[in-house]
Amino acid sequence: MESKHHNRTMMLSRVSLLVLGSYFILCLASCSSQKKLDAYSEIYSERPQVLYIAPLNDLSMRHAFRTIDDSIYNLSLNIAAKHLYLSAADPLIRHGYYLPGPLASAQIAATEWRTGKQLRNDDIKDYYTDLGIDAVLFITLHGWNATYNTWTVEVEYVLRSARTGNELFHVSVNAMKVLNTDFKGKLLPLREDVDFARRYGCDVETAQRCRLVEILNQYVLKDLPSGLKARQHTTEGYIPSHPEFFNLKIHPDGSVQMLKTELYE
Amino acid sequence: MECKRHIKAKKLSCISLIAFSSYFLLSLTACSGEYVGVSRADVLRYQTVPTYGALHELATSYAQSLNDAVRVDTLHPGMYAEYGVALALMGHTGTACRMLNAEMKAFPESRGLVERIKKRLMPDMLFDTLATPHDTANLAQLASWAYDSITALKPLPPVAPVIDSTDSVWISQQTPVDSIEYPIRLTATQKRELLEKQQAEEAARQQHVADSIAAVKQATIDARKQAQADREREKKEKEQARKAEQKAREQQREEERKQKAAQREEERKRKAAEREEAKNNKKKN
Repeated sequence: MESKHHNRTMMLSRVSLLVLGSYFILCLASCSSQKKLDAYSEIYSERPQVLYIAPLNDLSMRHAFRTIDDSIYNLSLNIAAKHLYLSAADPLIRHGYYLPGPLASAQIAATEWRTGKQLRNDDIKDYYTDLGIDAVLFITLHGWNATYNTWTVEVEYVLRSARTGNELFHVSVNAMKVLNTDFKGKLLPLREDVDFARRYGCDVETAQRCRLVEILNQYVLKDLPSGLKARQHTTEGYIPSHPEFFNLKIHPDGSVQMLKTELYE
Repeated sequence: MECKRHIKAKKLSCISLIAFSSYFLLSLTACSGEYVGVSRADVLRYQTVPTYGALHELATSYAQSLNDAVRVDTLHPGMYAEYGVALALMGHTGTACRMLNAEMKAFPESRGLVERIKKRLMPDMLFDTLATPHDTANLAQLASWAYDSITALKPLPPVAPVIDSTDSVWISQQTPVDSIEYPIRLTATQKRELLEKQQAEEAARQQHVADSIAAVKQATIDARKQAQADREREKKEKEQARKAEQKAREQQREEERKQKAAQREEERKRKAAEREEAKNNKKKN
């Protein structure tokens, strides 16, 4: 009897070890093989400390106003776009960079207004000489899409050095969020989405979009090397980095899965 | 021996399960999207509807988060600057300048950004980089510097206590924050003004809505009246045209009748003349 129990416990331990090991292996395999030190070599050499997030370049389509639903849809997209901009600062601040807040950024943007094209192609050295900004992050929102139970957003992140004008970081992501449905086919929003809607005083649809872009920001910008003030700055160079193009799938249980795209391969 | 192995295996399985579940939970919480310092809901609300009331709520939120951050020593970059910008937009330029200077002191790399903000929002305070709790602080700082630097002033006894009394906390202060609270201290007058301003904003909004509705109603009534007047004018014109036509037709008819009467008269005269002529001819014959 005791021997049977012993065997069962041994088996359980082996199975759990196997599960743990396979999970780690899967996690590692899902990441690209390129290390941060190689992928972001320019960031490591330039060591930017002060970042500035330029106003969002929103290229997503809005509905022409015909019914009240169109204006509600447009308002929802506007709020989600604003949230995309506002929530981009958090992961960077946590990484040890200096970033001005949204009100201060609005004041800077009012004096130093550039379009997305100008930020990408023109000389932005005056950001460094006049304002002391080391690098400018500009985010382009390409579009939203929604199918039966999936929300999709396409976002491009570019971090450009104001000192040298080089592109330090360039990532395009197609993020999708999958929702569960009940037996009648009705969508079941996540608890976090409902909490978010209650906290922000918006509808659940807007909250789902906002949470999607928030998770996307967290996932993408967390990959940047830590700033000079962070103690991980010198030790994290050998961690695998994200590829330049990828799809991101957010499951109903809240887990995030990165899928490589054909463009990358 | 077997029992020991059994316990070891059990322990191992427990540890691996705990490790797996904690790693999984950590990976989930990493994606939950926490916020740095301030409430993004207030920022989003202000950016969506930028009113004075929303700005005041945002500034209060910044003040609270700044207090908490100073208390537990978790000051994030940009917190002083954000509160300073909010205060400057509300018109409290003195405190705003203090906050922006504190940002520069806490994060020296922000100097360029903060100077640009000061240049935009309060150009008269661009070179005021001292901590200024009140208007005489700069003067007090200057006097303190003079008292320390110029030895000739040292023996003057009345100067020192005056400077000491003026310079209570701020001049000797090395760090920008120690135990300073940053709520928005509003006096009763300011509170009343704020309330009046909010009420005026609300009243203006309601008035605007009422005006818009009244304008639409008035426009509808005007349009109806105009259409009625047009219809009546058209009808009148038609009536007049019809009457004029009838009159012309009657005149024509009258003329025709007169003409026919004249013709008949002429015919009758001609026939009478002929008859007369025939009678005369008979008499002659």
